[in-house]
Amino acid sequence: MGNNSSEDRRPGPIRRLFATIRRGLAGLDAAHRERMTALTAYEARELENVFVLLLFGSFTGMPAPPSFIAVELLPFLEHEMRVLNRRAENASDALAELMGTLDADA
Amino acid sequence: MSSMVIIIGAAVYVALYFTYGKKLETRVGATDSIETPAQRINDGVDFVPTRTPVLFGHHFASVAGAAPIVGPVIAMAWGWVPALAWIWFGNIFIGAVHDYLSLMASVRYDGKSIQFVASDLITGRTGKLFYWLVFMILILLVGAFSAVLGGLFVGNPAVPANFVLLLVAALILGALIYRVKMNFVAASIIGVVLLAASIFFAPLMPITASRETWFLVMFFYIIIAAAIPVNVLLQPRDYLNGYLLYLGLALGGIAAIVGFAGFSAPAFTSFSPIVSGGQPSPFWPVIPLIIACGSLSGFHALVGSGTTSKQLDKESSGLTIGYGGMLVEGFLSTMVVVAVAGYGMALINNAGGAITAENWGDNYAAMSRAAGLTGAGMFTQAYAAMVADTFLRFIPRNFVVLIASMWVAGFAMTTLDTSNRLARYTLAEIALPLKDRSSGLYNLITNRWIASLVPAAIGIWLGYSGAFSILWPSFGAGNQLIASIALLTGVAWVTKRLKTSANMALIPAYALWFTVTAAIIWHMVVVVLPATATNPVTNWTVFGIEGAMLIMNFVFIIDFVRTRKVPVGEAESS
Repeated sequence: MGNNSSEDRRPGPIRRLFATIRRGLAGLDAAHRERMTALTAYEARELENVFVLLLFGSFTGMPAPPSFIAVELLPFLEHEMRVLNRRAENASDALAELMGTLDADA
Repeated sequence: MSSMVIIIGAAVYVALYFTYGKKLETRVGATDSIETPAQRINDGVDFVPTRTPVLFGHHFASVAGAAPIVGPVIAMAWGWVPALAWIWFGNIFIGAVHDYLSLMASVRYDGKSIQFVASDLITGRTGKLFYWLVFMILILLVGAFSAVLGGLFVGNPAVPANFVLLLVAALILGALIYRVKMNFVAASIIGVVLLAASIFFAPLMPITASRETWFLVMFFYIIIAAAIPVNVLLQPRDYLNGYLLYLGLALGGIAAIVGFAGFSAPAFTSFSPIVSGGQPSPFWPVIPLIIACGSLSGFHALVGSGTTSKQLDKESSGLTIGYGGMLVEGFLSTMVVVAVAGYGMALINNAGGAITAENWGDNYAAMSRAAGLTGAGMFTQAYAAMVADTFLRFIPRNFVVLIASMWVAGFAMTTLDTSNRLARYTLAEIALPLKDRSSGLYNLITNRWIASLVPAAIGIWLGYSGAFSILWPSFGAGNQLIASIALLTGVAWVTKRLKTSANMALIPAYALWFTVTAAIIWHMVVVVLPATATNPVTNWTVFGIEGAMLIMNFVFIIDFVRTRKVPVGEAESS
């Protein structure tokens, strides 16, 4: 009986279909809005890279501001350092990402 | 008939998604117990797990373009059955398999691109080929799409007027969001109202100009658009275009389903009707050069492995996004075939043509061109006729034509802008070996303005030459070559990394490689070479580009076959 009552509470196929369509449309809407800012986010990322390089360039052999400033900021920028490290690894593999971000498909 | 084809198409797609697609998923061993790069790395910046419907929206909007619309219109010369057959067959057995494998290979490679996977599993040279191929395709793309836009602008002076108004609306929207910092929803409402106003007012203020003028405008536009910050113009414009895409898809989808229109176009004309360059064009091997993205597209592999793979929240969503996304694009092409099959003949004859079901194969290309209904022009008019044939006829027909035109023009213009930005990047990568040997030459080639001007000038010149029926298959050839390389890379991944049978991809991959190779040779010898007598500069340029692509194609297949049995990591030394 318990099973029957829980089955009774399950929405019917029509309701489930509408729920799926509603989720799909909400997803399309969210994607559409996010794409509005995708390229700005990409440019912001590039600026962030420049900022971190300016601060920690000495670690990669670039002239940088006084080390004590960098060392003082280091604990707060752990996340950025990890991101920068991974981006450096992927730097030679940017074509596909650029095509996706720039919406370059025909 | 139209309703029946749409319903059968949907049923075929759904059935094969749950059978063939699921079988492919099993073969790949997709499981949610393996964390995706987005879950494992999740840095909140580059790798972010994204809900499946949202990621599907991102992926679909990235892969959808004007090519799935233009290609099927041209392929109607063979009749609607061959066109539909290639769209459905290519979608299910090649295109969707290619997109899914590229996505999943990238997911298992920590979000690295298919280009990287090819370098790792085949040879480093294969990875480098991508830059050359993409650069050449981008030039052809600028040529083909500027021709599409030129045709639309000259054929319907309300379209450029609408485009100018849309640019103004986009500038206002960009300023409201990024300068005034207005609430996003409020700014969007204003943007959509401005978009509606642009469609309403455009027919009242048409802009008439010669074809030469429009090509000149496009040349300067893409240079400037590629140089200004994206948030000023391109992003808000693409955002507004997105509304047009969804409106267009909704209107067309409803009209195609409830239309019940009969087909006046013949089901089949002949094996070799006139399609490319005024020459009889055999269905095999030419069809993938004509219907490229509507059936399968190499660019999808790059887009899918570039951004989508970094956001996939679980492996089981890969099938919906990679395989399903391609099927939806094929469904758009199906809608195009239905519209042209139903209304194409009447449109050509109303414009002064004398086309019948009997002479369709020989005259469709020439008469539709004479009637100003090539590619996008035919689609926009047939689409409007299809909508007007239903209960949606209360919408004035010229507005529906404008909506469809802006839909296609928006896609084409986005591609032109981004092609130029990308061409700059690929040129810099190609020129990299020069950096140490001749830094002066390297700096010259990679100079921001020169790297923009060169591909734009060559592309716009090709488009202006009027050789659209030659340019389009050339672009298709390059695109399909990348698809064949990406699919064979998928095969290498399945056999070398997953150590399982890859026949579901290997057979279509070899079939595609042979077909595209034969098609390029046919196109160079039968179409482009004879055309050099009348239009030498354009056609020798196309001949050179196709020749270079053909050489790369052979280099690639030799590398693939040579390293097929070689374990990962030992390919270069072999």
